[in-house]
Amino acid sequence: MRRFAVLALIVCLGTFGAFGAGKFLRIAFDAADLKTLDPHLAAATMDRAVVDMVFNGLVRYKPGDISAPFEPDLATSWEVSEDGLTWTFHLRPGVYFHPFEGYPDGYELTSEDVVYSLQKAADPGRSAYAGEYTGMTFVAVDKYTVQVKLEKPLPPSLMLPKFADYAGGFIVSKKAVEALGDEGFRTHPVGTGPFMFKEYSPLEKVVLVANPRYFRGKPKLDGVIVYYMPSLSAREAALETGQVDIIEGPPEQPWVEKMRAKPGVVVDTFGPGECAVLHFNMSKPPFDKLLIREAVAYALDREELLYTVGPDIADPLCSPVPPLLPGGLTCDEVGPLRYDVDRAKAKELLAKAGYPDGFSIEVVISERAEYLIPMQNIQAQLAEIGIDVKLKVVDHSSMHTLIRQDVNPMVLYVAWRPNADVFLTRFYHSYSIVVTGKKPDTNFSHLGGVDADGDGVIETIDPLIEAARTELDSERQVALWKEACEDILTLVAAYPLYIKKFVYARNPKVDYGYELKSTLALYPQINELTDIAG
Amino acid sequence: MFAYAVRRILISIPILLIVLTIVFILVRVAPGDPARAILGDYASQEAVDALRKRMGLDKPLWEQYLEFLWGLARGDLGRSLISGVPVAKQVAYALPYTLELTFTGILIGVILGVPLGVYTALKRNRLPDYLGRTLSLAGLSFPSFYLGILLMLLFAVKLRLFPTMGGGTPGDPVDRLRHLFLPALTLGLIMTAYITRMSRSAMLNVLNEDYVRTARAKGLHEAGVVFRHALKNALIPIISVVGVYSVVLIGGSIMVEIVFSRPGLGKLMVGAMMQRDYIALQSIMVIYAGFVIVLNLLTDLSYGLVDPRVRYR
Repeated sequence: MRRFAVLALIVCLGTFGAFGAGKFLRIAFDAADLKTLDPHLAAATMDRAVVDMVFNGLVRYKPGDISAPFEPDLATSWEVSEDGLTWTFHLRPGVYFHPFEGYPDGYELTSEDVVYSLQKAADPGRSAYAGEYTGMTFVAVDKYTVQVKLEKPLPPSLMLPKFADYAGGFIVSKKAVEALGDEGFRTHPVGTGPFMFKEYSPLEKVVLVANPRYFRGKPKLDGVIVYYMPSLSAREAALETGQVDIIEGPPEQPWVEKMRAKPGVVVDTFGPGECAVLHFNMSKPPFDKLLIREAVAYALDREELLYTVGPDIADPLCSPVPPLLPGGLTCDEVGPLRYDVDRAKAKELLAKAGYPDGFSIEVVISERAEYLIPMQNIQAQLAEIGIDVKLKVVDHSSMHTLIRQDVNPMVLYVAWRPNADVFLTRFYHSYSIVVTGKKPDTNFSHLGGVDADGDGVIETIDPLIEAARTELDSERQVALWKEACEDILTLVAAYPLYIKKFVYARNPKVDYGYELKSTLALYPQINELTDIAG
Repeated sequence: MFAYAVRRILISIPILLIVLTIVFILVRVAPGDPARAILGDYASQEAVDALRKRMGLDKPLWEQYLEFLWGLARGDLGRSLISGVPVAKQVAYALPYTLELTFTGILIGVILGVPLGVYTALKRNRLPDYLGRTLSLAGLSFPSFYLGILLMLLFAVKLRLFPTMGGGTPGDPVDRLRHLFLPALTLGLIMTAYITRMSRSAMLNVLNEDYVRTARAKGLHEAGVVFRHALKNALIPIISVVGVYSVVLIGGSIMVEIVFSRPGLGKLMVGAMMQRDYIALQSIMVIYAGFVIVLNLLTDLSYGLVDPRVRYR
């Protein structure tokens, strides 16, 4: 009898308390907690996702397709002056900020908010993306008109991304930031987007509710719940039991296959993904010699690497700027600079460089699968020509610090950058050389600071990058970028490996409301059109 | 007893000081930069440097150390480097979840473990004993996160009886209990394994004592012998093992919180570790250390309650 009572209790506890009321989409991310919901500071996937749902930019990337032309967002139209130094954005009237304390109905967005927001984005103390807005001034001309004044003209391909729904381009509410303070705003974002921040349960979740006054129309969903679940098995179980609708997956082939085999689970892989590139440190032996870098390039087999990383989640990458972006090159366009695998030739080159028996190097690498697995494959491939790569595996954060201290002879870096200019500047401009550059950043190859081919002259692509940056003719600009890419490949400063897509699994009932090909938001964007069937 | 408790607390101060010095150094020895962690790899070095400065990480280490100690002395745990929220507030939010989890785990362990230990002791070298010993050995060798995943697969994924994630709706005790059940059972089963073994051997020791034979000889019924005479005397080692393994359980609770996506100190700590949130990390470690010290003290004090011979001097 008592045993029966216990059983009955368990069953009762099990049946009650299921989540009721309303059509909420639930998405779980690989994180223990949020870091910051301030759009100008948010960098991690789970934070960018919330920011994407809460805020708008002046213009926007087409949902699900970043290669399409920019669409109007908070600005309905924009134009540039004859001299290219003044950009004018015309704001959409009747857009309201989400309600917050003191403003139970929100208030209308005006040029004052836009100017305030852009000034915040340009302030290095309050934004991670301040560098994007150097030398710009922002002026509120009238209630619905904002002007951006430049020191040098910028082509639209470089100008508009800074004002789009990405990073510094998100428009925040001036009154809300002032009322809550920068600190308060981090956990209580107030924007104009399809979903409004409702509550935050630390270490657990953020609840967003539909914005009934959203300027594109009321969202089909009643809200979105963002869960923080660092355990992969927990996310899987939650999806399988219907406690969540979308989960962030690891970009790993076996996982994709495992999840695809499950009934009632759909796996989405989408771009732009992140570019995996192997950078050679040309400032010290052994990679100061061009012959050795060429040998390594010929020793590496992209196909094998792709197979290891997973054909479903990676596409080959042959250019320092991915072909998806203007200025990038496809593998066909790269031609012989692909360095198609030829290990006999690689050995020959090694012998010519004075290392017939190969050599040994030590490389620091992150413990994360997305770094470790390809690096182990590179290790195995280079062993074929006698190069012994010793791996020193450290945690991810440590790797990011160490590689910026220039400890590695070669650096595997997996990242996305919004355009060719940023890719080239951050990775190959002499200013960006790690430790010794004028603005040390992620130029791990030291290109622009060393004599890369032994002819006694320092090779640099700085002039190409700078010329392209201010070139208003987009065809000429693209040509300059492509030339820079070819120079990098000729010098083998870096060897592009593959472009790795993002992986999420979802309940098939979820309908994003648009075709998902690529998004800079790092997650399958949820907007006013997203719906759950049934 | 009061004087004893005060002395013990005073002794634990230097221990705590050593622990937090080690913690302070350890969290900083690992390379990695909280400013870079928060801003991401796309942020410019300028922005990272500006943030480091604002976080006070550009100050010399000894200055940061003194600030940390001075803060603690005033009961101030500092502000999280990442979220800017006072760590005390984060801890106050997370601690009840962790306490609720560990105490329920201990409770399950005691409720299941002690009777099981007594029973297997009485059936020594017979089938129930072998079975109990094998199971408890299996329990000892099981990592908590693995057991957690197994229980989750069985009760939540296959049988759909319980949720696999979250801490439950605050203010809804039924929902809280539902969310608590599986994680607490995970810890409880591991605790059961420890307690069963210890209760069994403690019982075996006393069952051979003269007074047990005397009790039997004077014709007491078996239950009276076992519970009034034997078990009461076996309680001291059992209590000490509950105390010791509660400390182990706190470690286990970290993994269980991650597996079941529960809010709690463990999840807070893992998050702080991944993001190099020095301030949050060192303060959480201090809380854990305090936890362990208090548990040990409570264990020692409880001896006197069950055994009048124990005197505190």
